[in-house]
Amino acid sequence: MMVAGISLVIWSGYRNLRERRLAAQEREATHVTLIPDTTASADPNSGTAPSPLLGKPAPPLSLMDLNGKQVSLADFKGHPLVVNFWGTYCAPCKIEMPWLETFSKKYAADGFDVIGVTYDSEVGKDTIAKNVQKLGVTYPILLSDPKAEKDYLADTEVLPMSFYVDRTGKVVQVTAGLGSEDQLEAVVKQTIAAGAK
Amino acid sequence: MSTPQMIRRALASVATLTLLAVTIQPVRAQFDAPAKKNYVTYTAEAQTVPAGKHALLQLRFQLMPGFHVNSHTPKSDTLIPTALTLQPAAGVQSGDLVYPPGQPFSFSFAPTEKVDVYANSFTVKLPVVATAGEHTMDGTLKYQACDNASCYPPRTIPVKVLFTAK
Repeated sequence: MMVAGISLVIWSGYRNLRERRLAAQEREATHVTLIPDTTASADPNSGTAPSPLLGKPAPPLSLMDLNGKQVSLADFKGHPLVVNFWGTYCAPCKIEMPWLETFSKKYAADGFDVIGVTYDSEVGKDTIAKNVQKLGVTYPILLSDPKAEKDYLADTEVLPMSFYVDRTGKVVQVTAGLGSEDQLEAVVKQTIAAGAK
Repeated sequence: MSTPQMIRRALASVATLTLLAVTIQPVRAQFDAPAKKNYVTYTAEAQTVPAGKHALLQLRFQLMPGFHVNSHTPKSDTLIPTALTLQPAAGVQSGDLVYPPGQPFSFSFAPTEKVDVYANSFTVKLPVVATAGEHTMDGTLKYQACDNASCYPPRTIPVKVLFTAK
């Protein structure tokens, strides 16, 4: 009788544990906050998202490019530019990058530059280089590091994410997500004009 | 020992073991640990299959509203496919996972560029032949999510398949 009783209790305990595992997963499923990131749902008409960097000096940036050369933001001092974070897995990034390439050439006379920063820890330089070549991008592509991600992206993780820096080194626009080509060009023009004031 | 004493001792043992059973906490660390936001959730559903026979388990995944993930075959080698990996389990022979087809999706500013995605929810089917009894299979789902304008780094979530064969 004792053995039967103990067996019954152990079996009940196991059932209980199994039920709890199921319940834990159900709780997890309902625990998630079902609201997209604010940056992801930024007004597509404005193409901008709030960022603590807006209106402040752009944080220093010094990263390796695909050829192993160290490239710094300071190298572009006096130039209006955009620091564009992207990833090889990011389809909207790869729609936007050829537009940035076009504007880097169209507004070269205004000193406008584009710096791409690859936020993509799962692929190597070769894969990144192949993607860049396929996209027809010729502007510098740098490999991100934790400091750059902390300074610029904080915890947002949204791609594409672009920081527009005027000639004085101040962040004048921050955009998250893909807008239209026209919206992108308007922000480029604003960035060039902002530094000229 | 008299019969009432035996009953009392048996009841005391039962009470002690019951207390132990209800205070044993399931393995929840993986669920409670602070983590970055997941765009896909999985809820294990108790399933029953015939023992020793071919059966199909259904693993259902839910996406947050407004988000999608690449399908298992995203039509581009640079996109990260949704992929489930399960560890072998004693008494369970599993076959190749069956993924649902994706649906075409394009970003509004580039309507001609299509990707192949899962939205809202998707179900992966797992063929099994299992011995009689309760079985648990552990695994992970890797996915990479986007919304209508942005993408987010790849994520991996734990998956636990619980089923009974009888």
